[in-house]
Amino acid sequence: MNKKAYYGEYGGQFVSESLMNTLDEVDRAFEEAIKDPAFIEEYHYYLRQYVGRETPLYLAGRLSEKYGTKIYLKREDLNHTGAHKINNVLGQILLAKRMGKTRVIAETGAGQHGVATATGAALFDMECTVYMGSEDVKRQSLNVMRMEMLGAKVVSVESGSNTLKDATNEAIRTWAKTAEDTFYIIGSAIGPYPYPKMVKEFQSCISREAKRQHMEAEGRLPDVVMACVGGGSNSIGMFADFIDEKEVELIGVEAAGKGIDTNEHAASMAKGRPGVLHGTRSYLLQDEDGNIQLAHSISAGLDYPGVGPEHAYLKDTGRAKYVPITDDEAMEALMELTQTEGIIPAIESAHALAYAFKKAKEMSKEQSMIVCLSGRGDKDVNTIAAYLRGEGYLN
Amino acid sequence: MNRIEKRMEELKAKNEKAFITYYTAGLPDMETTEKIIEAQRGVTDVIELGIPFSDPTADGPVIQQASYEAIQKGASLKRAFELMDKIRKGGNEQPVVFMMYYNTILNYGLDTFIKKCAQTGVDGLIVPDLPLEEQETLRDSLKGNDNTILIELVSPVSGGRIPGILKGARGFVYCVSSMGVTGQAADFHKEVIGYLSKVKSISSIPVMMGFGIREASDIVPMKDIIDGAIVGSHFINIMRDSGFDPDAAREYVTRFKREMNKGGM
Repeated sequence: MNKKAYYGEYGGQFVSESLMNTLDEVDRAFEEAIKDPAFIEEYHYYLRQYVGRETPLYLAGRLSEKYGTKIYLKREDLNHTGAHKINNVLGQILLAKRMGKTRVIAETGAGQHGVATATGAALFDMECTVYMGSEDVKRQSLNVMRMEMLGAKVVSVESGSNTLKDATNEAIRTWAKTAEDTFYIIGSAIGPYPYPKMVKEFQSCISREAKRQHMEAEGRLPDVVMACVGGGSNSIGMFADFIDEKEVELIGVEAAGKGIDTNEHAASMAKGRPGVLHGTRSYLLQDEDGNIQLAHSISAGLDYPGVGPEHAYLKDTGRAKYVPITDDEAMEALMELTQTEGIIPAIESAHALAYAFKKAKEMSKEQSMIVCLSGRGDKDVNTIAAYLRGEGYLN
Repeated sequence: MNRIEKRMEELKAKNEKAFITYYTAGLPDMETTEKIIEAQRGVTDVIELGIPFSDPTADGPVIQQASYEAIQKGASLKRAFELMDKIRKGGNEQPVVFMMYYNTILNYGLDTFIKKCAQTGVDGLIVPDLPLEEQETLRDSLKGNDNTILIELVSPVSGGRIPGILKGARGFVYCVSSMGVTGQAADFHKEVIGYLSKVKSISSIPVMMGFGIREASDIVPMKDIIDGAIVGSHFINIMRDSGFDPDAAREYVTRFKREMNKGGM
């Protein structure tokens, strides 16, 4: 057993033999790269000049007043391409380039990670193929268009449930076939080691900045740090620099869909059991035979039946707490932020906000929280409109 | 002695190559699966029975579809054990290997699973998402158990990993002919001959090749290296095309086995 691949009993490298040398190669290249000042400098250059970092830590004044505690928003929605996903894509694509790979592949659900990958591929002149479930291709036609404009090939996956889980399966199969010249850019904090570690590393700029920004504004650490959790990439980035600060409460918000007592949710922490999927051992929604169940959420980005292994570990050790928020609660929070602060958040991020408003009630005026606003809501306008018309959701 | 190892010794004594078929349990139902297994009695050397899983990442389209349909029809590990029980009680002594994903084992409970394998006569396990580095837990549970053995997989890009993989290997070693997934019509890896020769030269147990094989003629280029062949996706296609006719299964395996073992193939 490769001990460093594990977070407690979670993580690992559950992939076919064909990929083991590849993972080892990626691991070595990654460890070298992050110790190489030239690599880090280039990565930071692109984060600064291309993505537009650092992102502001905005004190939401009207919300803070209403809820009686300081609510800071980490504005990942202001990144180029509209979400935190680009932070990780640029790190991984620079690594792919360094390893001499000429082709990148990615899986995508709502299309945000796909768009970010297609963007990076255009920037670095790499061939790019994005795997997307045929159901998602239909629902997210605008993002399909964006990816194609950027020069990526979008493969519509017809297999199993035709959604993110199946797109990921297909990306893994393609990777196993073509690993000799292809780099798989995983967008979530999932997958076999070293992927969860890489995603955390490349998303940790979120908490590194936020910690310093909060110090500058308040002269101390925040009391609570919060983020939404699907696979868990923005949340692990938001937690990273606070994990060792024991007095900071960490809260991950997962999608309860129509409620965790229905069959339509994506709450793998609240309702799942440990199991193995997509190369890693973590909490998973599964049936009595161990088959993976479909996740449901109004937010396509949280619509995944598993969660990153480090989150499973943080949950079991009690370092972080994970709570569910329903579609309705998230949509209400989305409208509230839109109308009180003039910011339309992604539906994913609205889950974190919804819990922030609940949590604020037990906090005082002197205390403060940081909520990761992982993305903007432009991509969700069709879904929001359908929801407001009472048509349920397109996802 | 383990049924697989016993069969391998018998073949060696007769200087014959092994023929192994893969079939997804529960396609189109458990009763038909049983008939297809029984039809191969006395011909096919090892039956590889696929336990359907919702997310078969090591499988190509044919086995993915087969797994999906089997699950829809109610196939499960539990029902596969029932099937094993039935064929063993009926006197079928053919070696049987379960090909399954690790989550299915974990979900059943490791120790309960291994006990059940011994009880129902499951002779071997192929777990495509359990590479050497992750095998410790399963190996510990299998220790001192001669009934069920873990079959090791080797890939064309395994390179320096091969000696480590072969070290604890039993039964036979399963060499995949290409990178990636099952069922890529005879599209073998460009260095397949060199790779198979390398495995053969250091393996103390028989070397089988699988992935993308359809007919005995597909393995002519490596017939002097390998000790047998595994056919999966193509066998499923034959079954589908024949309307899941057990006679078609018997005809196909008999012909393959004969052609593979006739001199000057």
